Amino acid sequence: MIQTTDLHKSFGNVQALRGVSFTASDGCITGLLGPNGAGKTTTLRILYTLLRPDRGAALVDGFDTQADSMQVQRRIGALPDSQGLYPRLTARENIRYYGRLHGIKGETLEKCIDDLIRLLEMEDIENRRTEGFSTGQRVKVAIARALVHQPKNVLLDEPTGGLDVMSTRAMRTFIRRLKDEGKCVVFSSHIMQEVSALCDHIVIVNKGEVVASGSSEELLRATGRDNLEDAFVSAIGTEEGLVR
Amino acid sequence: MNITSGEKGSSLDRIGVIFSKETRDNLRDRRSLVSAMVSSLIGPLIIVLLIIILGKTLFADMTEKTLEIPIAGAENAPSLIAFLAQYNVKVVPAPENPEAQVREGNYDVILVIPEEYGEDFLAGRPATVRMVLDSTRQSSIANIERTRSLLNTYTQQMAMLRLMARGIDPAIISPIAIERVDLATPQSQALLFLNMMPYFVVMVVFMGGMYVIIDATAGERERGSLEPLLINPAARWEFVVGKLLASLPFAVFAVIFTLLMFAAAFNLLPLEDFIGFQLSIDVAALVWIFLVSLPMILLASGLQMIIATFTRSFKEAQTYVAFLPLIPALPGMGLAFMPVKPSLWNMMIPTFGQQLVINQLMRGETVNVGLALISAAVTLVIAVALIFVAIRLYHRERIIFGTK
Repeated sequence: MIQTTDLHKSFGNVQALRGVSFTASDGCITGLLGPNGAGKTTTLRILYTLLRPDRGAALVDGFDTQADSMQVQRRIGALPDSQGLYPRLTARENIRYYGRLHGIKGETLEKCIDDLIRLLEMEDIENRRTEGFSTGQRVKVAIARALVHQPKNVLLDEPTGGLDVMSTRAMRTFIRRLKDEGKCVVFSSHIMQEVSALCDHIVIVNKGEVVASGSSEELLRATGRDNLEDAFVSAIGTEEGLVR
Repeated sequence: MNITSGEKGSSLDRIGVIFSKETRDNLRDRRSLVSAMVSSLIGPLIIVLLIIILGKTLFADMTEKTLEIPIAGAENAPSLIAFLAQYNVKVVPAPENPEAQVREGNYDVILVIPEEYGEDFLAGRPATVRMVLDSTRQSSIANIERTRSLLNTYTQQMAMLRLMARGIDPAIISPIAIERVDLATPQSQALLFLNMMPYFVVMVVFMGGMYVIIDATAGERERGSLEPLLINPAARWEFVVGKLLASLPFAVFAVIFTLLMFAAAFNLLPLEDFIGFQLSIDVAALVWIFLVSLPMILLASGLQMIIATFTRSFKEAQTYVAFLPLIPALPGMGLAFMPVKPSLWNMMIPTFGQQLVINQLMRGETVNVGLALISAAVTLVIAVALIFVAIRLYHRERIIFGTK
């Protein structure tokens, strides 16, 4: 369960967030939808403890991301904006490093890694060094290492960016699976179609503010439009982000 | 199954995890290994080369060899020529334009004996012998000096003969008799080269773990793995300490390796053939030099950590960090020519105090243990302060994302 209230954040003169509030429930996929530069990444960075909000607070399972950052870090698995791997380590070693940082070791850890490798269908690459991996393979490793400690809350920053059609489909299936396991999933995207296909709850962000939120039906009702595309355009006021 | 709630692990565990990952990762990096190896070879290699090259020109006994002196107008001074021949000099005809020939370095020294030499000599006037030479050319100095001293000897002999012919005791023109007692031992001459060794040890201290630090900080950010890494439940200081510790084995290995190379060069190579005596350095001195280096290794890592955290890219970090070993080089190289005695103030300067102590250890002098401990303590305190600064830097948001 993730809650943010009135998040503000500025970098120098740039106001990145000017009051972002939303709630993401367990067993539910929440999508942060908005054009580039809307504040999606900044919001997620505050949620995964790396940025301190100027004002407002973000809670994960009731723990404050700044005051109890360790507690929050144990409860989240995040696929951040940068997904760099260690090129001289194998896929399995990359995942194992994160597991060990979470205090998991030995048999338990290896079993967790085995499960993820099977789930993400990466048996063929698990013992290869990650240097030269394709984007799809890299994302798989990045996801596996983020989820190795089986977190209750999953944060994904543009998880399908740069993926081909097949990988994108696999990713969507994977995200639905996380929901079925009862996890609280928050993911950001600038692609309306993707968000509407996946999300139970949509939060439309523009220029650092939440301009609309709710299920697809609620958004349609609120904007008085008959399709989501028009609803999105009317919410953010431009046609940006409709097509890839 | 919910793993997150139960197990936690201590700071020590997490530092261990970070340390072992960085060590393993960098052991697979050829740059880290090559940098540690090459830096530890530079010092011994330079000193051995200096001994071989300079030892040949400076120390080789020149009097054994026949000295060839081109002389213009040799026919004007037959008795001088006969004298020179007695002292193993081969007189050869001088080339045209002696000045130009010497300037171009074709000859070390050319003698020009003018036509009026014989006339002046007979008349008892100082007869001119012109030495054409270039005193700035190091390699000519031995031959110039030998020629000059031969001419002086001849002048003295002639003066004595003239005085005796006039019934005067030649001793009258030697008011003082200079007796030279040279206390330089072969070892103390060799220390001219050895004086550079402390600096090379410091250089290795700064270069041994350099790549590991850069890779773990600037490199980590450049490949985009810092952001996901810091989401893991570990305090920032644990990351800094783990990464810093990972650089230490590489630096320690480089220092040990360079000391062994020095020992091998001095104790095993037949340096006697080049400088006329054998250098030696004993095991106890090596062990002490190693111990003196340890606080410096921590200092170097702390300093490199700060720089590599500040810089935006691997390349930029590499540029700045590579300059670091040059800072202790200035006083260190000065030591080779201007020996400084250890005192409280200069032992408090990190890396400089250590160079003085290493120098003393090498010479087999007694080391002031109190001063050496102060030097180590001051260096350690500064190193710890630098590590604290690095940890503070790691709390900055702009450090994580690079530019913002």
